[in-house]
Amino acid sequence: MSPPLPSRRGVLGSIGALAVAGSFGLAAANRSASAIASDADVRVRYWNLFSGGDGANMIAMLDAFRAANPRADVKDSTLQWGNPYYTKLAMAASGNRAPDLAVMHLGRIPGFAPGQLLDPWDVRLLAKYGVREADFDPVLWKRALIDGKLYGLPLDIHAQLCFYRKDICQKAGLLDADGDLADVTSPEEWFKALKAAKKAVKGDVHTIGIKADEPNFSWWFFLSFYTQLGGTCLSADGRDVTFETDKATQVLEFLRRHLTDGFSTAIGIADAEAFVNGSAFTWEGNWSVPVFSGAKLKYGATPLPPVFGRPATHTESHCFVLPHQSRRGGATNEGAHQLAAYVVKNATAWARGGHIPAHLPTLDDKKYLALKPQSEYVSAMDHMAVEPSAWFAGSTGLLAQRIGPVIASANVGSAKPDATARRMKDVLEQLVAMKNPMEGRSATEGGSAA
Amino acid sequence: MSAVDTAVAPAAVRSTLAADADSLRARLTRRVQHGGWFVAPFLALFALFVLLPIGRGLWLSFTDANISGTGARFVGLDNYREALASPLLWDSLGHSAYFTLLVVPCIVVLAFLLAMLAHHIERAKWLWRLCFFAPFLLPSTVAGNLWQWLFNPATGMINHVFGLDTPWLTQKSTALLAVVITTLWWTVGFSFLLFLAALQSIPRHLYEAAELDGAGAWQRMVHITLPMLRNITGLVITLQILASLQVFDQAVVMQDFGPGPEESTRTFVQYTLEEGFTSYRVGYASAISIIFFVLIAAVALGRMWLLRKREEGVR
Repeated sequence: MSPPLPSRRGVLGSIGALAVAGSFGLAAANRSASAIASDADVRVRYWNLFSGGDGANMIAMLDAFRAANPRADVKDSTLQWGNPYYTKLAMAASGNRAPDLAVMHLGRIPGFAPGQLLDPWDVRLLAKYGVREADFDPVLWKRALIDGKLYGLPLDIHAQLCFYRKDICQKAGLLDADGDLADVTSPEEWFKALKAAKKAVKGDVHTIGIKADEPNFSWWFFLSFYTQLGGTCLSADGRDVTFETDKATQVLEFLRRHLTDGFSTAIGIADAEAFVNGSAFTWEGNWSVPVFSGAKLKYGATPLPPVFGRPATHTESHCFVLPHQSRRGGATNEGAHQLAAYVVKNATAWARGGHIPAHLPTLDDKKYLALKPQSEYVSAMDHMAVEPSAWFAGSTGLLAQRIGPVIASANVGSAKPDATARRMKDVLEQLVAMKNPMEGRSATEGGSAA
Repeated sequence: MSAVDTAVAPAAVRSTLAADADSLRARLTRRVQHGGWFVAPFLALFALFVLLPIGRGLWLSFTDANISGTGARFVGLDNYREALASPLLWDSLGHSAYFTLLVVPCIVVLAFLLAMLAHHIERAKWLWRLCFFAPFLLPSTVAGNLWQWLFNPATGMINHVFGLDTPWLTQKSTALLAVVITTLWWTVGFSFLLFLAALQSIPRHLYEAAELDGAGAWQRMVHITLPMLRNITGLVITLQILASLQVFDQAVVMQDFGPGPEESTRTFVQYTLEEGFTSYRVGYASAISIIFFVLIAAVALGRMWLLRKREEGVR
């Protein structure tokens, strides 16, 4: 006799019961797992925007922090940099679900509603963990102050650099006695150097990569040379446009000439790849250092050439911020201060990614000085060309988004330099007339820009 | 019963009428009660996630609200005035419209041709259908990134295969076109499926009868296939117009979240996103969303009106 078959309903019932029991079991297992994890006293939720080599460096630094502070549990999340990151951070802060600690670009702080989306640092608490104002470049520190309160703890400076291949420049006779790139002090000298380099370049790569069609880079390079000419975008209080179209035209003509004289190209061939494949120069961010070092090139890096007399190169900074929490305080807040101070102080590891540490004592660290070419372009810190201090400025902010494509159109030749300069001034005027959405007043109505 | 004049009808008839009306009312009430419960969950969700946000968006569009949602002030029609005067709004609207003009006819023709092919092929039918439909299953980020590689002027396959030197994504004249090509490949599968289903539902005997009457392949196509597909073509066109006007994700992914060379790929949705989430001007972004909503609704209603007029004409 065969055993009675179970009814359909019976089978479904048992499956359901098993599923329910299983989920309870899983929940219990989960609970015990999180209980083990929360054995730590302090849990710091930390958001950052570092991917690639920077991301790996940051994770290594966090691991070192964890090893040194077993009572702290750092839960880090890496989000895509640029606009998506800032949108998420703003929404989390406005919805009171902000992480305990986050990374931001220094230039974005004025637009991030200090006091509303960001909480100020407790300077005494930072001092307790060994970080003081005296350890930072005063210009940098001042940019992080709003109404006398510190809203950003600078981690680094990242600069636009002129990378050069030593083998090619040697052949072209462009190196000085120390084997570094010889100084150039005028556009004519610069183009003469490029002409010499062009002869020494082999194959069909271009002489220099300048990312002519990329809006962000176009804006950064423009700002560098415009600052070399002594140009400014806004008045100190951020209410008036001080943009000078004649100086801007001069810069745009200079940038354009790289293409018209055949030294560069706008067809979007990755400049880093071309440099590895034999371009003499490339203008790139310092974060390309690991790429070029990894390719085992003989190369050097300097700030952008001071062709208009006075040196200036575009820089931005990563800094730590405290996203707004309605009940910020206690051990978690202190943990955030401790973690930020730790990373800032131990920035030699961070400098491997090419960044210049903001913490000045690190710059004298032997291990840092041994990093080449990192320690060769520290001078970029002495002549930073930064975006104006305004709510719409800062890395990938509204200003960059609106003005970058305008510059790129002049670079690639589809707009004339003088017309482009006038359009840039229009963009600035439109932005200044716009209300700061976080304040409800426009700059001209008396809303402070910074 | 309807012919009876109730005012002069005898009492018996009147009472029957009243009873009828009562029972009708009761039936209706019962139906609404029962049906109402079935519809209620949908209505609740619809109200919560569609009506309420639209209402709130409409309200916000008259304020200077920011992303934090605090301290918003009523500003009347200021946002609308600013929006309609903004060249960025018109530019981005132009890009979305141009994109739609390019994509819709191509999709309709391409989807129809692919459906004909898949319908008539005898061997490995499933493979063809899968090939044509599969791209539609990809998330927009995957499709966008994939074609970003393919369009890379130095290392991409497109320039390599066609022996070109075109900087597809970084010059104004080709950037939006590249997005169009990507979109065709990515979304044609959906319309293809609609056409295929419609082709399969055309009764075979129509073709058999036509063949007996000596109609050739071309005549069968023009006199049977195309007329029988008229409704589905209308549907495909409407859906494609609505979807194409809202183009956003693939363009943004292919341009790394930027507005493209000389701002040539900034679409209307992207402009809204920039205002709302980069500039944190939620009030202004709401106003432009409402403008867009009205535009799209007008297109959809206009299309429906045309369709109805044509149907009436046919009758």
